[in-house]
Amino acid sequence: MSRLFFREAIARAISEEMQRDPTIILMGQDIAEHGGSYAETRGLFERFGAARVRNTPVAEAVTVGLAAGAAAAGLRPLAFITYVDFLMIGLDPLVNYAAKLKFKSAAQLTAPMVVKATAGAKGQGPTHAQSLDSWLMNVPGITVLAPSTSGDAYGLLKTALRAPGPVVYIDHKRLFPLGGEVPDGETLVPVASAAIRREGRHLTIVAHSYMSLVTIEAAKLLAKEGIEAEVIDLRSVWPVDWDTLEASVRRTGHLLTVEEGQEVCGVGTEIAFVLQERLDGLRVARLGARRMPVSASPVLESYALPDAERVAASARRLLQRARQDDVAVTT
Amino acid sequence: MEQACSHAEGLRRLESMLLLRAFEAALLRQPKPGFQLLSRGEEAVAVGICTVLERSDPLLCSGRSIAMALARGVPSGGLLAELIGKDGGPNKGRAGRAHVSMPSIGLYGAHGVVAGNLSVAAGVALAQQQLHTGAVTCCVFGDGACGAGALHETLNIAALWQLPLLLVCDNNGYAVSTAVRQGIAVEQLTDLAAPFGVPAVAIDGTDVDDVVTAMHEAVTAIRAGSGPRFIEMRCTRMGPHSTATREERPSAELERFRDTDPIMRYEQRLRALGWLDDAKLAELQAAVATAITAAEQYAADAPWPDGDEALRDV
Repeated sequence: MSRLFFREAIARAISEEMQRDPTIILMGQDIAEHGGSYAETRGLFERFGAARVRNTPVAEAVTVGLAAGAAAAGLRPLAFITYVDFLMIGLDPLVNYAAKLKFKSAAQLTAPMVVKATAGAKGQGPTHAQSLDSWLMNVPGITVLAPSTSGDAYGLLKTALRAPGPVVYIDHKRLFPLGGEVPDGETLVPVASAAIRREGRHLTIVAHSYMSLVTIEAAKLLAKEGIEAEVIDLRSVWPVDWDTLEASVRRTGHLLTVEEGQEVCGVGTEIAFVLQERLDGLRVARLGARRMPVSASPVLESYALPDAERVAASARRLLQRARQDDVAVTT
Repeated sequence: MEQACSHAEGLRRLESMLLLRAFEAALLRQPKPGFQLLSRGEEAVAVGICTVLERSDPLLCSGRSIAMALARGVPSGGLLAELIGKDGGPNKGRAGRAHVSMPSIGLYGAHGVVAGNLSVAAGVALAQQQLHTGAVTCCVFGDGACGAGALHETLNIAALWQLPLLLVCDNNGYAVSTAVRQGIAVEQLTDLAAPFGVPAVAIDGTDVDDVVTAMHEAVTAIRAGSGPRFIEMRCTRMGPHSTATREERPSAELERFRDTDPIMRYEQRLRALGWLDDAKLAELQAAVATAITAAEQYAADAPWPDGDEALRDV
């Protein structure tokens, strides 16, 4: 194991994969000499050259379109979208072309491409801070990955760069300066493999990306009150590791979902619904951002988003409601 | 007028255009022809483009794809099956008109989103450049796409990276009901390429020989490494936008379109050259009719697609 910053884990994963696979090319704003907006491509331009590490103009639509077409024609492009909010501008080639290509060509063409985007709030305001994971998981044909640790950034990005179809790999801005353990040897994190970050018997809390870290903090608060929360980090937003989730809620009987995006048609909403279908009597609650844009004002930003206190409060409410229901049933 | 082609090649071009038109007529005779965008009046564009491109040169087109697919070499029976949604077409009935592809002959496919294939084509061209294939990627799009931002972004990156990309605007005069002049502010569509330094020409897209000449010049230059090119091919959409769209253009205008019919014009030229007479024309038409009958039979016999099988390819 080595201790690497999140951004270093990303650079290492890309570098190893580019060395292994000469068809990988990188495209995006400020990724060449500048080394990436988060210093996550530092050294790659110098190592692999201008043909494989290409700066693009501020033009997300053509960047994603280039990636989709190049993927269909034999390359394996990694397109960088500085803020996931700007992926909206490039959704047409991703959703209308890449995601449908294998299906519509009867498997004669595929789009093995990765869009690497950065989500989440860290003071950038309404159009630079959103979490749109649930939009993407709604589209058949797209894999959505979102790490919360350096090790998973490394392992998931390597998986993404070997995937047969389009992958959206989503970082969170608050993760880049954090450090973490990364295996020295090559270790891939497969899709649909959630990680149990903390074991517990009273309820299961499912989160992903930066909210996994927030949820671990919440679990510590709850533990002081004697509530043992099991924390699961999805890592793979789609496909979902249903088996790990189901096994956990069978043990705890209670599910709280936490995400930085919206609750309406959210990642957690989908997970809660499916697990309720699988497990009669499962009690669920969800927590996401308040239904408002994210502001650059620190007060309004934290008002909008879940934090450890709010996660803990949601967990308490869920358990309390469940106890009241039980009392009502027995009397 | 270009007369560089041989007698046999001239007759082949005519027969190809006759096949395209007869095929679309056969499609309309199907019990359920579906939502189709036809190419009546635009056959010279498709035949001329595909005359010049090698099969190793990737071709992408708009949702007005039927003529392009046939001219490229998609078998007519399979294409007919594809268009009506049956298994037996190149994409097992899943793609239909708007997305038909056949990578084995370099047809990377149609794309039903207007202007949607432009940036994808730039990506295909980037792959050719990066993999040193020597191929020229050709993207055909309508005049309607010229009002979209995708063209600006694609021209910019293609010029910046000197991509081996040929952009062909099939200007049939209308985006559904909106005339070019009402939808696009520039005087000439070729003006759109000028700011990026991309060489552009406008030609008569109802003259198959002119199309071939312009294509040959552009493809040769791109293959030699001179970067992207833009050709506007002016032609006429002789029918309504689609099988589901009302035709509201004045009948006097539609009458005038007859003079721009690329097939009629080419017949006249070949007759003037002494290469075509009534007997020869009847012979070509009989050959086309035989091919169409076989295509109709193939499509009739083709099975419907299986949902479970399709689901596995998501």
